[in-house]
Amino acid sequence: MSATIETFNLTKKFDNLTAVEDLCIQVNKGEVLGFLGPNGAGKTTTIRMLAGIIAPTKGYAVVEGIRTDEEIERLHEIIGLLTETPGFYGRLSARENLLYFARFYDIDASQQVDKYLKKMGLWERRNDKVGTFSKGMKQRLALARCLVHEPKVLFLDEPTAGLDPESAKEVRELIMKLREEGRTIFLSTHNLDEAELLCDRIAVFKTKLVVIDTPQNLKQRLFQRQVIVELEEVSQEILNAVNGLDFVLSVTKDGRRLIIELRDFDKNRPELVKSIVERGGNIMSVFEKRHSLEEIYLTLVKEEQEMRA
Amino acid sequence: MNKRIKNIVSKEWKTTFGNINSGLFITLLPLIITAQALVLIYLAMNFAGADVLIKTILGKGMENWVNLFPELAELSLIDRFQVFFFAQFPFYLLLIPIMIAVSFATFSIIEEKQERTLEPLLATPVRTWELLLGKALAGAIPSLLITWFCAGLFLLGITWMGSAHLLKFVLNAQWFISLFLLVPLFSLLAFMLGVIASSRANDPKTAQNIAVIVIFPILAILGLQLTGFAVFTLTKLLVLSVVMIIAIFFVLHIAIRLFQRESIVVRWK
Repeated sequence: MSATIETFNLTKKFDNLTAVEDLCIQVNKGEVLGFLGPNGAGKTTTIRMLAGIIAPTKGYAVVEGIRTDEEIERLHEIIGLLTETPGFYGRLSARENLLYFARFYDIDASQQVDKYLKKMGLWERRNDKVGTFSKGMKQRLALARCLVHEPKVLFLDEPTAGLDPESAKEVRELIMKLREEGRTIFLSTHNLDEAELLCDRIAVFKTKLVVIDTPQNLKQRLFQRQVIVELEEVSQEILNAVNGLDFVLSVTKDGRRLIIELRDFDKNRPELVKSIVERGGNIMSVFEKRHSLEEIYLTLVKEEQEMRA
Repeated sequence: MNKRIKNIVSKEWKTTFGNINSGLFITLLPLIITAQALVLIYLAMNFAGADVLIKTILGKGMENWVNLFPELAELSLIDRFQVFFFAQFPFYLLLIPIMIAVSFATFSIIEEKQERTLEPLLATPVRTWELLLGKALAGAIPSLLITWFCAGLFLLGITWMGSAHLLKFVLNAQWFISLFLLVPLFSLLAFMLGVIASSRANDPKTAQNIAVIVIFPILAILGLQLTGFAVFTLTKLLVLSVVMIIAIFFVLHIAIRLFQRESIVVRWK
C-alpha cells in the first residue's frame, strides 16, 4: 500500500515549548488514521503542519508526494482541512460562504456547492445567513467547505468537539461515508469511541508518537486476553479448582463472574469449561473480556507520563 | 483581474455593503468632507475677505501659486484666493480614501481572525499577495468612485457659490493628474497600509492607531502648499505619482513579508 501522508522527524517548537517532536508516521491511501491525544498534546499543530498552514521547525512531511512546507498552493489544491472551529462569515448565507471558498479552486464552484449543500442536508437552509445556524449545522457546512473541491486527503481536527450527541452522530455518519468513498482521512480526536468506530489505525500522541496500530492490535498488545465465565453461583470449590489448573495464570472473582487469564487463550478455553462443569458449575455464558479503547488510551498516556517523569 | 482577487473583492463588498452602518459611513463621510471644504471656502471668502487672508500665512501660498500660473494675475484678489483654494481640493480629497481605509482596511484581516475564517481561507490555494491585494482593492475601488463623485459635487458647489467663471483656471492638468492619478494611487497605498496594520495588530483599535499615521503625509502636502513652502507643479506631481507607484509595489512586497501566516493563525486567540 502506498503512503499518502508521510512525516519524517516532524518537529515544531514555539520558542522554548516543543509542541511536536520527531513525529514519523505513514498514512496509507484510503486509510482513516485516528490521531488521539489529550488537550495540548500537539494534535492541531501537527494538522497545521500537514496542511501547510505552519512550517515545521525540523523535519518535513509529504502529502501525495508534495512537501507541505514547500509547495503550499499545490498542496492546498488536493487537501481539505476542517479546522477546530468552523469559522464562517455570519452575514453571508450558507451558499455564499461556500461559493466564496469554492471559487479559489479550478472547479465548477456553483455545481459543487449545490452538490455538497444537498449532501450535508443544508439545501433547505442554503439562503439563510450562517449567523443563524446551530453549531451542528455549522460543522456540516464546514465539512462541505473542506470537500467542495473533492480533495483526496482530508484533515479533520476534532470534528465532533462541542456538538450535541445527535449532531455528533450526524457528523460521524458523514465521515463514515467519506471513508467509504476511499478518501484518506487524518482524524484528530479525543473521542475514543469515535476513533474506534471510524479509524483503521490509531496513533496515540502526546508531543511524541506513543504508539500506532489498529484498535484491535492495541488492545492485544496491552492486555492479555481474558475469558469471563458467568456462573449461576461461584462456589469456593470451583474457585479453588480453577486456581489449581496449571494453564490458568490468574483468576478474579467478580460477583457471579470469574475473570480468568489463560496461558493459551484459544487452546485452554475448552479445558477450562470442562473443569468447571466437572465440579458442578452451572455455566451461564463464556465470553472474551473486551477492553475499551479508553482503557488502552489511559494506560498508554499514563505509561508515557511515567516514562517522562 | 485575477479570478481569486475578484472573488475576494466581491465577498468584501457583500459583507461591507450588506451592513447599513458600513454603507452609510462610506457614503456620508465623503459628503461631509466635501461640504466642509465648500463651507470653509465660502466662510473665508465672505467673512474673512481677501484683505485679511493676504496678511495670513495663506497669502504666501496664494502668491507662490500665482507666480506659477501668471494668467491668474489678471483676476481680482478674492478670485485669486478662490482659485487657489479650489485647486487644493484634490489633495484635500485624499482624506476620503484614507479615512475609509483607516476604518475598513484595518478591520479586514482582524475580521477574518475574529470570525475564525482565516485558517480555512489560508488552507485554500489563495496566495498571500492575492489576499492582500484583493482586500486593498475591495476598499480602494469604492472609495475612489465616491471620491470622484465628491469632486463632481465640489465643482457643482463652486458653480452654486457663483464662481463658475473660475472653473477654467481650476480645471487644469494639475487638477486632473491629482484627481485621476494621485487619488487612485494614494487610495491603494492607504488601503494596503491599512491591511498591513490589520494583519499585524490584534484588535481593530490598534490597527487604526497604526494606520492613522498615513494621514500625516497628506496633511503635510496640503499644509506645504497652503503655506507656500512648496508648490506641486505638473512635473512634481508626475514625479510624485512615479514615487507612489514604486511605493505601492514596495509596500505590497513588505505586506507579503509581514503577513506571517503562522503567527496570525497560532497566536490569535
